[in-house]
Amino acid sequence: MAFVIVTAIIVIGTVLWNFVSPWWFSPLASNWGFLDATILISLVITGIAFVLISTFILYCVVKFQYREGHKAEYEPENAALELKLTIITTIGVIALLAPGLYAWKLYVELPTDALEVEGVGQQWVWSYRFPGEDGVYGNTSGRLFSSKNTFGLDPDDPYGQDDILIRGGEVHLPINNKVVFQLRSKDVLHDFYVPQFRAKMDLVPGQQSNLWFEPTVLGTYEVACAEYCGTGHYAMRGVVVVETEEDFKNWLAEQPTFAETMNEGANGEQIVQTLGCVACHSIDGSDGIGPTWKDTYGTNRALSSGQTVVVDDEYIKTSIVNPMSQIAKGYAPVMPAYATLSEEELTAITDYIKTLSE
Amino acid sequence: MDQNSATYEGQKMYDPKGWWDTYVFSQDHKVIALQYVCVALAIGLTGMFLSLLMRMQLGFPGLFESIDAGSYYQDVTMHGMIMVIYLLTALFLGGFGNYLIPLMLGCRDMAFPFVNMLSFWMYFLSVIILVASFFVESGPTGAGWTLYPPQSILEGTPGGDGAGIILMLASLAVFIIAFTMGGLNYITTVLQSRAKGMTLMRMPLIIWCIFLATFLGLLAFPALLVGAIMLIFDRVLETSFFMPEIFKGGEVLDYGGGSPVLFQHLFWFFGHPEVYIIALPAFGIISELISVHARKNIFGYNMMVWALIAIAGIAFIVWAHHMYVAGMNPYLGFFFATTTLIIAVPTAIKVYNWVLTLWNANIKMTVPMLYCLAFLVTFLNGGLTGLFLGNVAVDVPLSDTYFVVGHFHMVMAVSPVLALYGGLYHWYPSVTGRMLNDTLGKIHFWITFVGTYLIYFPMHYIGFLGVPRRYYSNEQYDFIPQSVADLNQFITVCALIVGLAQFILLYNFIVSLKKGAIAPKNPWGACTLEWQALESPPGHGNWGEQLPVVYRWPYEYGLPGATSDFVPQNVPDEKIT
Amino acid sequence: MNNYPASEKAFLGLNHAQVFVYVLMTVISILFLFITNAYLFRMNFQDWNPVPIPSLLWFNTICLVLASVGMAWAKSGAKKSDHQKTKVGLAIAGVFVVVFVSGQTWAWQELNASGYFLSSNPANTFFYLITALHAFHVLGGLVAWFVVTFKVFKGDAMMLQPESVGLLGAYWHYMLLVWGVLFAMLITT
Repeated sequence: MAFVIVTAIIVIGTVLWNFVSPWWFSPLASNWGFLDATILISLVITGIAFVLISTFILYCVVKFQYREGHKAEYEPENAALELKLTIITTIGVIALLAPGLYAWKLYVELPTDALEVEGVGQQWVWSYRFPGEDGVYGNTSGRLFSSKNTFGLDPDDPYGQDDILIRGGEVHLPINNKVVFQLRSKDVLHDFYVPQFRAKMDLVPGQQSNLWFEPTVLGTYEVACAEYCGTGHYAMRGVVVVETEEDFKNWLAEQPTFAETMNEGANGEQIVQTLGCVACHSIDGSDGIGPTWKDTYGTNRALSSGQTVVVDDEYIKTSIVNPMSQIAKGYAPVMPAYATLSEEELTAITDYIKTLSE
Repeated sequence: MDQNSATYEGQKMYDPKGWWDTYVFSQDHKVIALQYVCVALAIGLTGMFLSLLMRMQLGFPGLFESIDAGSYYQDVTMHGMIMVIYLLTALFLGGFGNYLIPLMLGCRDMAFPFVNMLSFWMYFLSVIILVASFFVESGPTGAGWTLYPPQSILEGTPGGDGAGIILMLASLAVFIIAFTMGGLNYITTVLQSRAKGMTLMRMPLIIWCIFLATFLGLLAFPALLVGAIMLIFDRVLETSFFMPEIFKGGEVLDYGGGSPVLFQHLFWFFGHPEVYIIALPAFGIISELISVHARKNIFGYNMMVWALIAIAGIAFIVWAHHMYVAGMNPYLGFFFATTTLIIAVPTAIKVYNWVLTLWNANIKMTVPMLYCLAFLVTFLNGGLTGLFLGNVAVDVPLSDTYFVVGHFHMVMAVSPVLALYGGLYHWYPSVTGRMLNDTLGKIHFWITFVGTYLIYFPMHYIGFLGVPRRYYSNEQYDFIPQSVADLNQFITVCALIVGLAQFILLYNFIVSLKKGAIAPKNPWGACTLEWQALESPPGHGNWGEQLPVVYRWPYEYGLPGATSDFVPQNVPDEKIT
Repeated sequence: MNNYPASEKAFLGLNHAQVFVYVLMTVISILFLFITNAYLFRMNFQDWNPVPIPSLLWFNTICLVLASVGMAWAKSGAKKSDHQKTKVGLAIAGVFVVVFVSGQTWAWQELNASGYFLSSNPANTFFYLITALHAFHVLGGLVAWFVVTFKVFKGDAMMLQPESVGLLGAYWHYMLLVWGVLFAMLITT
C-alpha cells in the first residue's frame, strides 16, 4: 500500500504543481501568445491522460492484490477495447497536432511588411545590421572578414555603404512593429532566443535562417544563446531594448553606417566589442572565463607556469596574438589566438585596457 | 554427462579449455552477457560521477574551483555519450540480449558464439578508447553528446582542436563495429535457432523487443558511422563536409562549402532510432515482469507485437523533430511533427496493454513489480512531455531549455533504468542461483523512484521560464530569478542522495552472491523457457541432452481448468497440473 | 560452430551463415546509401569540381569482374567436389582482389600527383572517401577468403561445404555490384 499512497501523492502533486509553481512562462512581450495557448492545451490534454491512467493503475494495485489460491482472469485480448482506445488516442493526438500545425504555419510565413534586421552571431557576442536608407542590404562575403570589417561587407557595393552596423551586442526595436530577423553566423552554430518573445531560431554559418515576431511591451530584454557554441556559450548574453518608434529612430540615427566605420581609426573599445573579447573579459571587475580587465594594467599576474609577470603593453599584446604561451593561473586554456590583428589595432586595444585601470 | 565438452545433435559444442577460455574469451552467451553487464555498469558509474560533478557546479557554483566552464562541458558531453551508448545500449542489448535470447528461445547458444565473443571485446576496446580521451592533453571532447560541427572540431570547444574529439569518434566507430557483429548474431539466432514449436508469435515479448531494437540499430548506426567518418575527415584531413566558411580568432579559416545541418540530419537519423533501441528492451522487460508478478497473461499480445513493429518502422521517419529550429527548410516541420505525433499512438497502446494486464490480475508487490509500476508512471510522464516537444510550434519556446532536459531524462534515464533494475532483480536468481535481499531492494527502489522524480520533474517548469540547457552558469541573466538557483541546489542534493543509493544495489549484488537465500528453481513461477532449464543457473549448453519443445505461448498464467496458476511453455497439454 | 535445434524450420530455407551475411550486406548497403546521398546532395553546390576518372579504374573494374568469375568457378568446383577446380577458383579470386585494391591505391597516387588533393575540393574528398570505403569492405571479404582458402588448401575436405564457398562468392559479387553502382555514379557526375 505504501506504493499506492506515495504514487497518489506524486500524481496529485504533479497536477497541483501547475497551479503553485513559482516558475512559469516569462511575461509575454510579443505577439506569440498563441504559442503559450498551444502549451496550455497540451498541458490540459496530457494532464487528463496522466491522471486517468495513473489512477487506473493505482486502482488495480489496490483492488487486485495477490490472494493465495485465487487466479487472475484469463483474457488474452479484447480487440474491441483496443480499437476504442486507439480511436480515443488518435483523437487526442489530432487535438494536439491541429493547433500546433496551425501555429507553425503562422510562424514560418514571414510577413512582407516588416522591419528587417540582420542578426549576426559569433563566439561569443551578438551584432546586428539594418539595411539603411536604401532598404537594401549590402553584399557580404566570408573572404572579406577582418577585424576592421567584421560584417564582411563588400566595400565596392553601393548598397552596403549606408548599412547601419550595431556592434556591442545591444539592439533596439520599435514597439508594435513586426520585425523579421535574417540570421547568420560567422563561425559556429548559435541560436537567437529571447524568452519573453518566445520565438527562436538557430544561426548557421554558411546559410541564412529567419525569424519573425512583433514586440508588444516596452522594456529591456535579454538574448540567451540557445545552441551550444563552445566554452563561452553561457556568457553569450545580448540585449534587446523595445522602445517607442520615435526613440528607436533617434537611436538608429546615432549608429554608424558601414562607410563611417571604414573611416574610423582603430578604436580599442569598438574592436573588443566586435571581436567578442568582452564575452570572457569583463570590464566591471566581475569574474568570467578570462581575467577581468578592470584595474589590471600595471598589476602583477601569476601564470600557470609558476612565473609572475607584470601586466604591461608587451604582456597584453602577446596574450592577444599567442595566448597559449602565457595562461593566467586559475583560468582554463581556451582563448583563441588573434594573430592577424595589426600593430595599430593591438595598440588601440592595449590603450583601451589601460583606460580601465585609471 | 560432462556439460563442458558435450556433443549435441551431432554438433560439437564450444569446448573451453582452461581459465582463459572459460572466463575471459568465453564463447558461452551467459558469460559474455555478464561481461557486458560488468563493463557497462563500470562505465555507467563513471557517467553518474560526471553528472554529479555537473550538479555540483549547478547547485553550488564556485564551490569546486576546478570545475571551470571547459571541464563542465567535458563532463556534460562524456556523461551523455557514456550513458546513452556505452551504458544503456550495451547493457540492454549486450547484457540482457545475450543472456536471454538463447535461453528464452530454447537453444544452446547464439548462432555464432565466436563472433559473439569478438563483439564483446570490440565493445571493451571502444570503452578503452573512450576512457583514453580523459588522459590526453586537451582532455575529452566537450562538444555536447551531439558533437555538432563546426564547434566540435574547432578551438573554443574543449577537445575540439586536440585528440579528444578524434578519440571519441574512433571509439564510436569501434562500438558500431561491435554492435553490428552482435546484432547480426541476434538476428540470425532469432530467425534460425528457435526451439521446435516456438513460432515467432510464441516468442516472449522481450525477444521481440530486442530483435526489433537490433534491427533498428543495424539500419541506424551506419548513418552515425558515415557522419563520424566525415567529421574525422574534416578534423584531421581538413576537408569540408560539414564546414562552411568560418571567421574565427580574427582570420578566415581554410574550410568552405560544407553544411553543418547535413551532420545533424545524419546524426539524428541515427539518434532517434537510438532512443528506441534503448526504450524497446525496457518495454520488453516490463512486459515480462508485469505478467509474471501480476500472475496474469500480458493483455493483447498480438497488438503488442504489431505496436512494436509500427514503432520500429515509424522511428525512421521522425528524426528531424530534433531539428525544428536548426535552420532546415521550415516546411519539413509539418511532416515531422505529424509523424512524431503518430508514433504516440502505438506507444500509447503498449501503455494501455500493460495497464490492462493489471486489471483482474493477482498482483504480488515484489521488488520487480514495484519497478514495473514506477516505470509505468514515469514513462507516462516522460512520454506525454514528448508530445509537447514533437508538436513543432510548441517546441519553439521549449527547445534547448530545461524542459527538454527534463523530458529526455524522464524517458531515457528514469523509466528505462527503473525497468533495468526490475530486470536485474527478476533475473538475478537465474544467473546466480540466489535471491537478492528484499529489504535492501525496497530501500533502493524508493530512493531511486522518488528521488529521480524530484530531480527531473521541476526541470520542466524552469524550461517554461526559458532557462536554457548547457549553461555553465545562470548568474548573468536577470530573467532567471534566485529561486532557480535554490531549485538547482535542491536538485543537486537529491542527485547526491540518489547517486549514493545506487551503491545499495551494488552492495546487494555482491553480497547476495554468497549470502543471498538460495533460489528455488523457478522462484517467481514464470512460464518462459529460461526458468525451465535443467539446472538453475543453467549450465553450459543450457538444456542437457534434450532441447525443449514448445507447446504454448509464454503467458499462460491463470489458465482456467489448471490447478497451478501458471503453465510453462514446454509443458504439453496432457501434462498440465 | 552450428547450433541447429532438433527439428529446424529454417528462415526462408537459409542456413545461419547465409542469414548473417545477407543481413550484413543490407547494413553495408545502408552505409553506401548514406554516402551516395551525401554525395548527390553536395554535388549541387557551386564549388564542386568533378574529378577526372583515371583510366586505371577501368582496369581495376575488370579485375574485380575476374575475381567474381574465379569465385563462381570455385563454387561450382565445391559443389561437384572437384577440389582442384575449387582451389584454382579461389586462387584466381584472391589474386584479382589484391590486384584490385593495389590498383585503387595506385589510382589515388596518380590523382594526388596530378594535383587533385584530398581536401582541396569536395569532389576530390568524396572520390577518395567512396573508393576507400569500398576497398575497406573488399579487404574485409579478403579476411573471410583467407579462412576458407586455408581450410581448402589444408585438404580439410570435411569442413568444405559448398555453401561456405558459395556464400563467399555471394559477398564477392555483392562487392562488385556495389562497385558498379559507385563507379557509374562517379563517371556520370
